[in-house]
Amino acid sequence: MMADYIKFVDVTKCDGCRACMVACKNWNDLPTVTEEYSGSIQSHAKVNAHTWNVITYNEHETANGGFEWLFRHQSCLHCVEAACEKACPEDAISHTEFGSVVIDHDKCVGCGYCVQNCTFDVVELATYKDKHGKEYRRAQKCTLCTDRLEQGLEPACVTACHTDCLIYDEKEKVLSEAEQRLAKIKERFPNANIYNPQGIKGTTTVYLLADKPSVYGLPENPKVPLSQIVWKDYAQPLGKAMFGVTTMAVVGSVIAHAMNREKGEHKGGQDHE
Amino acid sequence: MEVNVTRRQFLKLSGAVAATLAVVELGFDEKSVKAQSEEFKIAKLTPTPTICPYCSVGCGILVYANEDDVVYTEGDPDHPINEGTLCSKGTTVRQVYTSEKRVTKPMYRAPGSSKWEEVDWDFALDKVAKNIKETRDKTFMEKENGITVNRTDAIAYLGGAALDNEECHLLQKLFRAGLGLSYIEHQARI
Repeated sequence: MMADYIKFVDVTKCDGCRACMVACKNWNDLPTVTEEYSGSIQSHAKVNAHTWNVITYNEHETANGGFEWLFRHQSCLHCVEAACEKACPEDAISHTEFGSVVIDHDKCVGCGYCVQNCTFDVVELATYKDKHGKEYRRAQKCTLCTDRLEQGLEPACVTACHTDCLIYDEKEKVLSEAEQRLAKIKERFPNANIYNPQGIKGTTTVYLLADKPSVYGLPENPKVPLSQIVWKDYAQPLGKAMFGVTTMAVVGSVIAHAMNREKGEHKGGQDHE
Repeated sequence: MEVNVTRRQFLKLSGAVAATLAVVELGFDEKSVKAQSEEFKIAKLTPTPTICPYCSVGCGILVYANEDDVVYTEGDPDHPINEGTLCSKGTTVRQVYTSEKRVTKPMYRAPGSSKWEEVDWDFALDKVAKNIKETRDKTFMEKENGITVNRTDAIAYLGGAALDNEECHLLQKLFRAGLGLSYIEHQARI
């Protein structure tokens, strides 16, 4: 059994160079997304369909009135209990053996339920044109470079990171080192914490945050709504089972009916059994 | 009610049920079929090591290219300077080749003209050589305040971070010792 690996983001080591953003675009061949200048040096308001990770630049005032940038590498967290997966009516979203949450674009119909239900607002719909010029949509987000993981390579963003803010390594090791790092930075960042929300059974991208999750726009204690769980884990399988039963009943009755009719038409004739 | 089913009818019926079940319940493994159909982007490519052309740090880069395109570039993990990492600018190095804005032929804008035109290399090199010679001849200073200087202040040379020691040696030899330039600069200092 392969050890569990996670992506770890120590935001206190990030210097905001954005190499991870470019590396992601480079590996995944994603096009440029131009956004209007918002008054901040942050490049994009948030992740979008063609920008799967964004460094957010939080302008933060320290306790003694000083100024500090709080950077965060924002991308899909790959929740263990993923609301997007629960919301998907087409079973297009699933977990891989690496714990990454991926979208199967052959199954995705671009309905956008995952976009609306994502706990961290990281899924978006991309619009494409087929060969007849007809527009269609597909949900897009970070894949944790699952194709690279399958080949034994690190995610592209991790490869590029020059401060070791991004790490991809064995879960146990990373988490215990994270605790040590947390103890070290507590003096400078009293609100520092490890963000691995247990309400969604943890995430495959774990953060060491310099301040409370809310400062970074993250929910303090996210949960997948019960209605989503009931819908996906109970209602949908039941519906599918019912569909199977119905199909069988219909097919069976058609055949039975046809045979009965056949028998009726050959009344009195020889049935060469 | 009497159920009147002959042996053949029974077999037909159970066959149909089994077939339906097979379609509904078993399906086939779409995932493995899909995995085989998609190829890993750099699977058949051999990386070529190079040095980043931007700042003077000199990070190592691996270039994955096929016959007609650069498919991917990443930091060289075996390079002692960057150990596989890159900055955001070095990560974009693939665009040096793929960008639509890349200039692939020498361009010439004649004095007083407002537009660039394509020229061939012979024209461009001859033009540069001629202008250097003319300018140097016109402005060359042998002495200044009685001291021998042998220089021209009318030409400047701009080098780059991607030049190696041997190239720098040759360029210094040509421009400083040979032509007498004193304005010799480096791109990363501007």
